[in-house]
Amino acid sequence: MTDPQPSNGQPPKARVAVVAAGVVSPLGFGLQETAESLRTGRDCVSIVSRFPVQDCRCQTAGQVRDEGLKERAKGAPHAKRLHRAAQMMIVALKEALGQTPEFKPQLTVVGTTSGGMSFGEDYYRSLHGRQTLRHAASQIANYTPQKAIMDAQEALGISAPCQVIANACASGTNAIGHAFECVRYGRYQQVLTGGYDALSELVFVGFDSLQASTPEKCRPFDRGRTGLVLGEGAAILALENLESAELRGATILAEVVGYGLSTDNHHLTQPNPSGSGARQAMERALESAQLSASSVDYINAHGTATPFNDAAEGKAIAELFGRVPVSSTKGMMGHSLGAAGAIEAIVSLLALRDQILPPNINFRESDPALDLDIVANESRPATIRTVLSNSFGFGGTNASVILAKRNE
Amino acid sequence: MSRPKAGWSLRIAGMGWVTPLGSGVPAVWDRLLKGDEPPTEAITSPLHARTFQVFRVPTDALAKAPAHPRLRRSSSISKFAAAAGLAALEGAHLELDPAAAERTAIIFAISNGGVIYTKRFYHDVVEAGAQAASPLLFPETVFNAPASHLAAILGITGASYTLVGDGAVGLLALKMAEDLMQNGSLDRCLVVGAEEADWLLCDAYHRWRLLRAAPPIEVFQAQSRGTILSEGAGALLLESEGFSSARPGQSEDRPAGSSILIERIDPGSNFYRRSEAAACLEQILHRLGANNGDIVIASANGTFIDKAESAALLRYCPAATVYAPKASLGESVGAGGIWQVICAALALAEREVPPTLHAFQDHETRPGLPGPSHAQFRRAIVTTCGLNQQAAGLSLQLPP
Repeated sequence: MTDPQPSNGQPPKARVAVVAAGVVSPLGFGLQETAESLRTGRDCVSIVSRFPVQDCRCQTAGQVRDEGLKERAKGAPHAKRLHRAAQMMIVALKEALGQTPEFKPQLTVVGTTSGGMSFGEDYYRSLHGRQTLRHAASQIANYTPQKAIMDAQEALGISAPCQVIANACASGTNAIGHAFECVRYGRYQQVLTGGYDALSELVFVGFDSLQASTPEKCRPFDRGRTGLVLGEGAAILALENLESAELRGATILAEVVGYGLSTDNHHLTQPNPSGSGARQAMERALESAQLSASSVDYINAHGTATPFNDAAEGKAIAELFGRVPVSSTKGMMGHSLGAAGAIEAIVSLLALRDQILPPNINFRESDPALDLDIVANESRPATIRTVLSNSFGFGGTNASVILAKRNE
Repeated sequence: MSRPKAGWSLRIAGMGWVTPLGSGVPAVWDRLLKGDEPPTEAITSPLHARTFQVFRVPTDALAKAPAHPRLRRSSSISKFAAAAGLAALEGAHLELDPAAAERTAIIFAISNGGVIYTKRFYHDVVEAGAQAASPLLFPETVFNAPASHLAAILGITGASYTLVGDGAVGLLALKMAEDLMQNGSLDRCLVVGAEEADWLLCDAYHRWRLLRAAPPIEVFQAQSRGTILSEGAGALLLESEGFSSARPGQSEDRPAGSSILIERIDPGSNFYRRSEAAACLEQILHRLGANNGDIVIASANGTFIDKAESAALLRYCPAATVYAPKASLGESVGAGGIWQVICAALALAEREVPPTLHAFQDHETRPGLPGPSHAQFRRAIVTTCGLNQQAAGLSLQLPP
């Protein structure tokens, strides 16, 4: 419903429903497999098999199973030429639209960081090795970051204009937040949103060179945390004006109720240690949702397990929310960069649906500098009405989105 | 398609331009009106000794660029973007204090991004293994690095978005700005498109069969002969109408083009085969209400785009005045759409349209392509058809 008489001179606001969702990640294919992995705290991180990693400090990542992916993406136009990112997006989109076939998006807003980068790597390696460049034209056309969502839309017969946000690791949450605002302020009735990224050597080696990735287990918020592991995946959410969704009898999975973002100019790759950037994004999300911090029941943290991120984010959470249950699910599936915010929005959705707090696995010892209620190692049943999900990225992009159980 | 709310429109409050024809809006426009062409520079691939021609930004074009610590190690794309972004603010006589910066968003449009550092970074890895990867280069390879640098220079702490796409991404970024500004939480958006040229891009576009070995870029020809890549940046500072005119003492000395209103932005749709591009553009022109009295700033660049654009224009506005700036400025992809909008704003403001260079001028099969004219234009249309399936359009109008 649209607020008929906004009191502050601001434009009227509609409520925004999530009417469908689809996901592919190391946790599994689809909502059900994902929910089961979350419930059991499954560790889905393994040795990287897609490219050589013997020279890297970190040699593990969360990886989407190849055989299952190809099988599920089969039948799409030019299926053999598609990048893995496109295949993942097709599978996620198929799952979402299967729940609401009458959903006709007017706009698609998704996030990514590197799109089909590995095609670009293959092309460069061939060029460098003076090998045959028989597939170069196809690799080049399909490596561009926006191509995965375009291919997925083509496979599902959609031609909505695509806004593809590349705000580093905040991309997915930025995409959901922008899509939410587009529906909330009446610009569009139905918007597809989400994110995707596939593992690529360039990015893997990049994080390794920064020593941001760890040769050990990824232990978010742990006292002995040593860094992140990368991941991959894709997730899609179908957002719709709640009133029109109800009128057509759509299933309402949850509502998106708030979005906040900030830009932290401290450093290109490091957050302000005070946590001010993270705090500002969360405060703005609460303000957007017109909620107090005490009404948030669970925070799905960005929680990369790098010393800097978790210190800044943990400080901001503790200051703003006190001891709300917090977990980072990246220990289970790795950090899927542009897809992370979208996958974690689905994790938040499943937490609301199943009333289970997803676990923060590999947790051994609390960090004395962070006064947080970490959902350590095992999922917990809880009453959850409102979830805040954080994503923070290079370039100082910080984004927080709030999802809530449908308010009857 | 979404419409802006009634009685609300966006004004172009400032513009910045860094191009192969130099920098500064009046200077570049003057050269376009004269029909100047930038010189090309030959760049050779060290991997297979193949030489390509590109339109580079001349070094003196960045003479007034800021010397900010964030730009010390950054690639050219960030420097172009910073110079254009700051020029747009300067053109609007705007200095951002912290309160104003918080209510200002940056939206970046990029296609190839920081390709020079990305190539260097990956080259080291291919050549010498993962141990050779540079932690200094890697952060600069991220698509939003230029936006981050500009936000740091300007002190922007609120919204900053980088959009990726093909040649249509500039208009998609403007659409995003329009959507964001209708929320009431922002006073202005700085929309910047930027790109840098490199031999690797040239090689890729060559293998994609889109590149021409040497100039000129011949637009609207029966046979597509290919394009020449270029680099630079364009910036548009957008404010809601009424907001900028509220700032004191600026209405008299605003630069040309800075009072133009954005009438409508059409985010278009996707064409999955090249043969569908014309139909996609036709729908955009139809929704924008294109007619023969409009100036059309086209994205024709010597590739398959020309045929699609030509067919759409002939159907909807066969006698409209058409200008294709890429024949003079080259194909700058992420920056190209913003450059077209700058041309459209200036053509409306100055009532003058530069000559489209090297164009095929058979009016029975090609849209109208006149030289400089002083017609009483009231409206300009921008069409952008990208090389990788995206198309979008926009209309500008003079203020009432």
